Amino acid sequence: MFWSKKKAQWTSETDVLVIGSGGAGLSAALAANESGAKVTVLEKAAKVGGATAVSGGVLWVPNNHHMPEVGVADSRAEALKYVLRLADGRSDEQLIETLVDNAPLMLQFIERAAEMTFAALKRYPDYHPEFEGGKPGGRSLDPGLFDSNELGEWKSKLRRSPVFGMTAMTVTEATDWGVFSKPMALPFKLLGERFQKGLICYGGALVGKLLKATLAKKIDIVLSTAASELIVEEGRVIGVRATQSGKEIAIKARRGVVLASGGFEWSKSLAAQFLAGPLTHPNSPPGNDGDGLKMAMSVGADLANMTEAWWCPSLVIPGEEYDGRPLNRGDFATRSLPHTMIVNRRGVRFVNEAQNYNDLMKPFFSFDPGAYERSNLPAWIILDQQYLDKYALMTHMPGRPAPDWLVSAPTLEALAAKIEVDGAGLRATAARFNELADAGVDSDFRRGESLYDHFYGDPDNKPNPNLGRIEKAPFYAMQVHPGAIGTKGGAKVNPNAQVLDVDGTAIAGLYAAGNVMAGVTGSGYPGAGATIGAGMTFGFLAGRDAAKQKPV
Amino acid sequence: MPEVEYTTRMNLEPEAIWDFVKDMNNWAPYLTGYQKHEVINETDSIWTLKGDVGMLVRSVTMRVHITEWSGPERVSFTLTGINEEMDGGGTFVMGRAAPASATAALVKSEAPKPGIFRRMMNAIARFFFRRKFGAGPQRKELTAAPASELKFTLRMDAGGKTAPLVNAMLGPALLPAAEDLANKIAAHLEKLHDTKKAA
Repeated sequence: MFWSKKKAQWTSETDVLVIGSGGAGLSAALAANESGAKVTVLEKAAKVGGATAVSGGVLWVPNNHHMPEVGVADSRAEALKYVLRLADGRSDEQLIETLVDNAPLMLQFIERAAEMTFAALKRYPDYHPEFEGGKPGGRSLDPGLFDSNELGEWKSKLRRSPVFGMTAMTVTEATDWGVFSKPMALPFKLLGERFQKGLICYGGALVGKLLKATLAKKIDIVLSTAASELIVEEGRVIGVRATQSGKEIAIKARRGVVLASGGFEWSKSLAAQFLAGPLTHPNSPPGNDGDGLKMAMSVGADLANMTEAWWCPSLVIPGEEYDGRPLNRGDFATRSLPHTMIVNRRGVRFVNEAQNYNDLMKPFFSFDPGAYERSNLPAWIILDQQYLDKYALMTHMPGRPAPDWLVSAPTLEALAAKIEVDGAGLRATAARFNELADAGVDSDFRRGESLYDHFYGDPDNKPNPNLGRIEKAPFYAMQVHPGAIGTKGGAKVNPNAQVLDVDGTAIAGLYAAGNVMAGVTGSGYPGAGATIGAGMTFGFLAGRDAAKQKPV
Repeated sequence: MPEVEYTTRMNLEPEAIWDFVKDMNNWAPYLTGYQKHEVINETDSIWTLKGDVGMLVRSVTMRVHITEWSGPERVSFTLTGINEEMDGGGTFVMGRAAPASATAALVKSEAPKPGIFRRMMNAIARFFFRRKFGAGPQRKELTAAPASELKFTLRMDAGGKTAPLVNAMLGPALLPAAEDLANKIAAHLEKLHDTKKAA
């Protein structure tokens, strides 16, 4: 434990100081507030919401009280078995139990505190629904729509997603309307009306509802203020130094500091230092630079799961920007729909493209020791004209001329030459892929076998919703970049979300939740909303426990 | 179809405005999000603009076709999206200023009269626009009765089935863009005029 050398001159005081305003941070703030503490939230950005606000806004909560409403039964034992398998030995079993036991309590608390109701998504499967304890739906919860006008002057301070921020539809509606497989059937008039009215969805709706509750409870939210150093006295974290408008301030936290500042995916040095593979195209808002991680390390926090991220393949449309940086769009559906496949530089497939985005990325980092290079980077998604005729490709809608940001060619060989992929390899792979598509069974990589794969496929495509021939010219290619919606290595915590030092002793006054904390699910991704569900659960635990501490 | 109209007034002769506006190379860089333009022939050019579409910034390439070239009063043009399914058009109208009238902005949208909600949307859009692209040009207050006015009309219409949604997003961005262009042209001409006068 390092002690602060400078005696702090406090700028302000609070009971519980929360660093970060995403789902984990706002849950911690609401929980601490309910326990009677005075709470302050510091946010580095000028907007509220962090990575949660640009996400799908879904919470993964096993054994939740809404599951009976959609006819899905669940149990603690099933959830534990499922998460334990996915964690792959990289997480503490006690913390997995903490997640499974407390996530349903967190959900009930948030519904009460934020006066909101989630809806269980009956048809959104776990990411490995066929594993023991996996479910075909119900564990992922939809926050619904939110009228952003309810935030008053804070409306403009709510972070909005560059991808999900323009179409106000609930996740339930998106599923029912076939947002991926039937993009032209969406009710655009209704969506336009909702946009004009200020209705928002997904992560924006979730954060909007949490923010509204936070403001109603008179919790202070301080924007554009970057925490940089924990202040420690007599072995206890008692506050933070931060920078605000170029000036250093010090805020005393009488009962505790909750780090909920997100991951380190935008820090090139930390990503290169720790992650299992090159993370070149993060999907989160720029700003998750590992500030919280570094603060935790500086007071001796133990770390875990540092090689892992919530991986997600990224596609880039040249010229698109968000927060002043090129926008990296997470690809959730393109690779799962028919008439697409992903290949490496040899023109060879190497993964079930319809696999969940986290596990999909793992073979991208496969290393060839002889060639001393990563076998599957760079990678390319290949599609044909049939795809463009039927499905959306990010901003491109069916029926429009092919966009200029797609590499195109009249033959697969010509396409291969343009993207420097082996032409014979690509031709042979496409021929094999077409055989599998005709059979409706991918005996090479099992694409289209899982219920999860089908969720992102085209139910009208026969015989398999995820498999369709690649044969109609022109052929197209886009590079698939390694991305992540956040990292999931960080400070180790105990079941109260208290940060542990390298001896396993809790560091007094310091808590962590969300992506700054060592991920409870190890390398696995149990289902849609697992990031936010776990983040909010440990935020809830952190806020509640911090509020109970004896003040200094 | 989202359509906006913006009028600005100057103590300059209409001919001076025409001299500037008639050559698009003069005012192209004043267009919000301007990246580049390529003149194809006397009536056609290709423009690339970088602009806000919803929450993100995208590059849009459009063909501009001049349909009317009636100096010193009027230029009309059409816009056709090349990489986006949209079209539209606009006019610059220059003339003697009507007496005792002030600079005014008017939104023409699907709703015939701008209601309180629409005005609020425009105010919010203007706020974000200013924050992103900076405050508009600093112009001196007109001390004498203005000699001429420049009226800029712009309309954009997304095509295809997604049009209702895209138009909803485009609408609030148009008025601040029209204001910005007209005011930048006016500020440039006023500065030029002052410099000449001082010389």
